[in-house]
Amino acid sequence: MSLWEFIAQRWDRLLPEAALHASAVIQCTAIAAVAGVALGVAVYRSPTGSALATALTSAILTVPSFALLGLLIPVLGLGVPPTVVALVLYALLPIVRNTIVGLAGVDPAITDAARGIGMNRLRVLTRVELRLAWPAILAGIRVSTQLLMGIAAIAAYAKGPGLGTEIFSGLARAGSANATNQALAGTIGIVVLALVVDGLYVLVARLTVSRGIRD
Amino acid sequence: MTAAVRAKASRADRLRLVGQPVAVLLLVGGVLLWAATRDLDSIEKVNLAPPKIVRDTWDHLVISVVVTALVVVVAVPLGIAVTRRWARWAAPIVLGVATVGQAAPSVGVLVLFFLWTEWEGLWAAVLPIALYSLLPVLRNTVVGIRGVDPALVEAGRGIGMSAGAVLRRIELPLAVPLILAGLRTSLVLAVGTATLAAFVNGGGLGLLIDTGYKLNRSTVLITGAVLAVGLALLVDWLGALAERSLGPKGLR
Repeated sequence: MSLWEFIAQRWDRLLPEAALHASAVIQCTAIAAVAGVALGVAVYRSPTGSALATALTSAILTVPSFALLGLLIPVLGLGVPPTVVALVLYALLPIVRNTIVGLAGVDPAITDAARGIGMNRLRVLTRVELRLAWPAILAGIRVSTQLLMGIAAIAAYAKGPGLGTEIFSGLARAGSANATNQALAGTIGIVVLALVVDGLYVLVARLTVSRGIRD
Repeated sequence: MTAAVRAKASRADRLRLVGQPVAVLLLVGGVLLWAATRDLDSIEKVNLAPPKIVRDTWDHLVISVVVTALVVVVAVPLGIAVTRRWARWAAPIVLGVATVGQAAPSVGVLVLFFLWTEWEGLWAAVLPIALYSLLPVLRNTVVGIRGVDPALVEAGRGIGMSAGAVLRRIELPLAVPLILAGLRTSLVLAVGTATLAAFVNGGGLGLLIDTGYKLNRSTVLITGAVLAVGLALLVDWLGALAERSLGPKGLR
């Protein structure tokens, strides 16, 4: 059976798996974005705090994803919980780092001006600093999403949802008919998802970056 | 990058330079001690015997080192080639392929290579992992050489250097910091992906994780996972040291 025939035949199974894959990645990126931006905002004014947060999150990124999943299985069991925890942890670094870099890159003269026209600290942060840092933060979120697409495939080992299931079942059925098609469908599906979602970020950037700093 | 941002980044680097080896020692020492003092059944004893652990760690290191050697030998010359005038047209193609390739899941690349070639063992793991971790070095080599100020290249040509001499004595040294940064990323990717080598009978610490999971022996699983984490942190730390000491002096 050719790959196309295989995909056509299993479409009703591949499509929900692709949807689950995308939804797991996007939801975990969203959680990581909220947590990462909050962490970045909490530490960006303190040099030690920034250094600690960056060092810690980049050390997490060094951890092999298969090893992290292995560590999470005895604690959280199988399925969704270890997948979500692993994905969120890996997504943190690019977001935290870019939040810190973006906020540190805001011209102090601008924040001074904002204070000068009577904005309080919170308003300066939400109306001025975060908006100016948003393109950098969004770039971090985009990198995280790409990263998670591949890691979510490995999470299928811990019975996580998504297209990784096809890859692992292709591996388990090595030698039998369609094993290669299965692994290929899973892999290509993830590449396509990654490219589509990456394209969506261009749109998100157009819609959310403040008009004054759009390029 | 503003000075403030750079200062923060270098502070984080220094923190990791000190903190990481300490974390590795604590993690690895702690888990080995924990595993050694537990009541182990016969399966755990076989899998956690010191020679077995050493061999798995050694296999893991061999995979990572061979991958890195392959990556350097292939990616740097390829990256240099596509920045030369005669091959400049190929640069967008190579970078485009690299970008799309990076979107592919590592486990998919590994499994597909295994299914297509039906190889097992070291090379079945090394080749796909190398293919996968080639991309950061390739990209950084191209970006690094392209980022060299054209005025410097002109100056080199002006004082009578040949194209080869300009490459060797100006372009490459200036691109070295970026190439090294890419290499460190590759190395960390390689060590991480090498945990998946167990799926294609390539050995490594992934074997302990996989065995522990399949036979439901948490001790084996946790020991393998923590050792893999320790090894990755250690290799990344060595990469950081190399990045600091190998870059050209004038750029430090």
